[in-house]
Amino acid sequence: MSQDMIILLVKALGETTYMVFISSLISALVGIPLGVILVTTDKGHILENLTVNRILGAVANAARSTPFIILMVAIIPITRVIVGTSIGTNAAIVPLTLAAIPFVGRLVETSLKEVEYGVIEAAKSMGATPMQIICRVLIPEAMPSLISGLTITVISLIGYSAMAGAIGGGGLGDLAIRYGYQRFRGDVMLATVVILIIQVQLVQSLGDYIANKLNKR
Amino acid sequence: MIKLSNIEKTYEGASGPVHAIKGIDLHVKRGEIYGVIGLSGAGKSTLIRCINMLESPTQGTVVVDGQDLTAMNAIELRAARKNIGMIFQHFNLLSSATVYDNIAFPLKLIDTSKADIEKTVAPLLELVGLTDKRNQYPAQLSGGQKQRVGIARALASNPKVLLCDEATSALDPQTTKSILALIKDINQKLQLTVVLITHEMQVIKEICDKVAVIEKGVIAEEGTVLEVFTNPKAAITKEFISVIINHDIPEAFKDAEISPTPIPDSSLLVRLSFIGSSADEPVISGLIRRFNVDANIIYGNVDHIKSTPYGTLVLEITGGDTDIENSLKYLQERNLGIEVIGYVARHDHIAR
Repeated sequence: MSQDMIILLVKALGETTYMVFISSLISALVGIPLGVILVTTDKGHILENLTVNRILGAVANAARSTPFIILMVAIIPITRVIVGTSIGTNAAIVPLTLAAIPFVGRLVETSLKEVEYGVIEAAKSMGATPMQIICRVLIPEAMPSLISGLTITVISLIGYSAMAGAIGGGGLGDLAIRYGYQRFRGDVMLATVVILIIQVQLVQSLGDYIANKLNKR
Repeated sequence: MIKLSNIEKTYEGASGPVHAIKGIDLHVKRGEIYGVIGLSGAGKSTLIRCINMLESPTQGTVVVDGQDLTAMNAIELRAARKNIGMIFQHFNLLSSATVYDNIAFPLKLIDTSKADIEKTVAPLLELVGLTDKRNQYPAQLSGGQKQRVGIARALASNPKVLLCDEATSALDPQTTKSILALIKDINQKLQLTVVLITHEMQVIKEICDKVAVIEKGVIAEEGTVLEVFTNPKAAITKEFISVIINHDIPEAFKDAEISPTPIPDSSLLVRLSFIGSSADEPVISGLIRRFNVDANIIYGNVDHIKSTPYGTLVLEITGGDTDIENSLKYLQERNLGIEVIGYVARHDHIAR
C-alpha cells in the first residue's frame, strides 16, 4: 500500500473519530435527560406526567423508526441551518446526533428502570427532592448500565458514520466505498474493515472496563 | 406523637378501585414501640406509608409531632420527613455507595459539611456496630448488616419517629433477634418513637409495648401486648398468637369426645394462664393437697412478654365428680386465667 493510501486512511480514521466523538457527546448530553424524563414522568414515578411521557415517547419512536440514510437526507434543511452547509464531516454530525438522541434516550430509560423503586422510596422518605433523587440515586445507581448503553451508542454511531459518505462526510466507511469498492482496491477495503473492527473492540473493552469498575453490586 | 384519624385509602387497581384502608384511627405515644400486625394484603404496609405520606391517604389526617402532614405542600412535607426515619424489608440501600456514604445520604441531601457528616456518622457506625465496615459496599454485607446500615441511615437526620416496614422479614431468626434488640436499644437511648409493621407475632412479642391487629383495612383489635396476648378477642388475633402460644386442644385429645358439661366418670380439661406474679403461686400442689384429685400436666409453656412472665398449662384433673367441681371452683378463685376446655370420658384416651 502506498504512502498516499496510508495518509488517506489516517485522515479517514480521524474523520470517523471526530464525527463519532462529537455526535456521541451531544447525544449523551441530550439523550440522558430525555431518558430521565421518560422514566420519571411515567405512571407512579416521582414526576408523573403522562402527557409529557406519551408525547416524548412518540417522538422518540418516530425518530428511531426512520432509516438513517433517509433521516440524513430528509433533515438537510435543518443541517444547513445548524452548520451552514449540507455537505462534509460537520454536516454529517447533525443527522448522526439526531438519530442517536432517541436511541440514547431509550437505553437510558431501560437502565434507570432497573433501579429498584424501593431505593427511590427510601430517598423520598428522607426528604429528597425529585432533582436529588435523579442526581444522587437514579443516575449513580444506574451508572454501570448507563455506561454499557453509551458504549452501544458509540459503536452504533461508528456504524452509522459509514453512511456519512453519502453527503460527503468522509470517514472510514466513505473511504471503503470509494476506494475499496468503486476502485476495486481490496487492500483498502481490508484495511478499513480491520481498523473499524479494532476501533469497535477498543470502545467495547473500554466501556466494559469502566462499567465493571463502577459496578458495586 | 403520631395521631392518625379516620384514615382511608383507595387505589385505582387494574380491576376497579381497591379499598386498602377503611377508616383507621391510631394513636402512638412518645417513646412507645407500637406494632401493627396483619397478613399480607391487610393494609399494614399502606398504613405505615401514610405516616410519612409516601402514600397520601384518600381521607383523614396524619399528625406527627404536632404537625398535620396531610395539610402540607411538597416543600413542607420534605422538611417534615426528616423527622421521620424509615427502614425497609429489603433495606433499600444505595448499591453504588459505601456504608459510610449510605449513612451520610440524608445529611448530604441538606448539604451538611464534611466535618459535620463525620461527626454524625462515626457514632452511628459505632452504635450499629459497623465501624470496621465503613468503606465496604452493601453487596459485601450480610442481610443483618445491611439492615444495620438502614437503621443508621434512618437515624442520621436525628428523627423523632422511626418507621419499620417489615424490617426483619427478610432476615433469619437469629439476625431478627439482634436487629430487634438494636431497635429496642435505640428506642430507649434516643427516646425514639417506633412504629413497626410485621406479620410475625414473635416480633411484636419481643419488643412492642402496644399492638394493633389489622385485618382487611380495619383494626380488629388493639391494646398493650400483654392484654392482647393473654386475652385475645378477635379470631385473627387468636390465629396470630397461636403461632407462639398453643391455644389448641392438646394432640392426645384431638379425637376424644369433649363435652362442655360434666358427664359421669370423666376427667376435666382446663387451660390455666399465668401472668406476672400469679406465675409464682403453687397452684397445682395446692389443688392436690386440698382435694382428692390427680392433676396431670398435658401441656405447659412459660414465656416472657417484654419482661413479664407468662405461661399456659393444660391440666387433666381426675377424681370424684364433686372433687372435680370443687377443684374447678378453687382454681377459679385464684388470680389466674382459666378456661374450661371440657370433660372427657376417663378412658377415652387411654390408648395414647
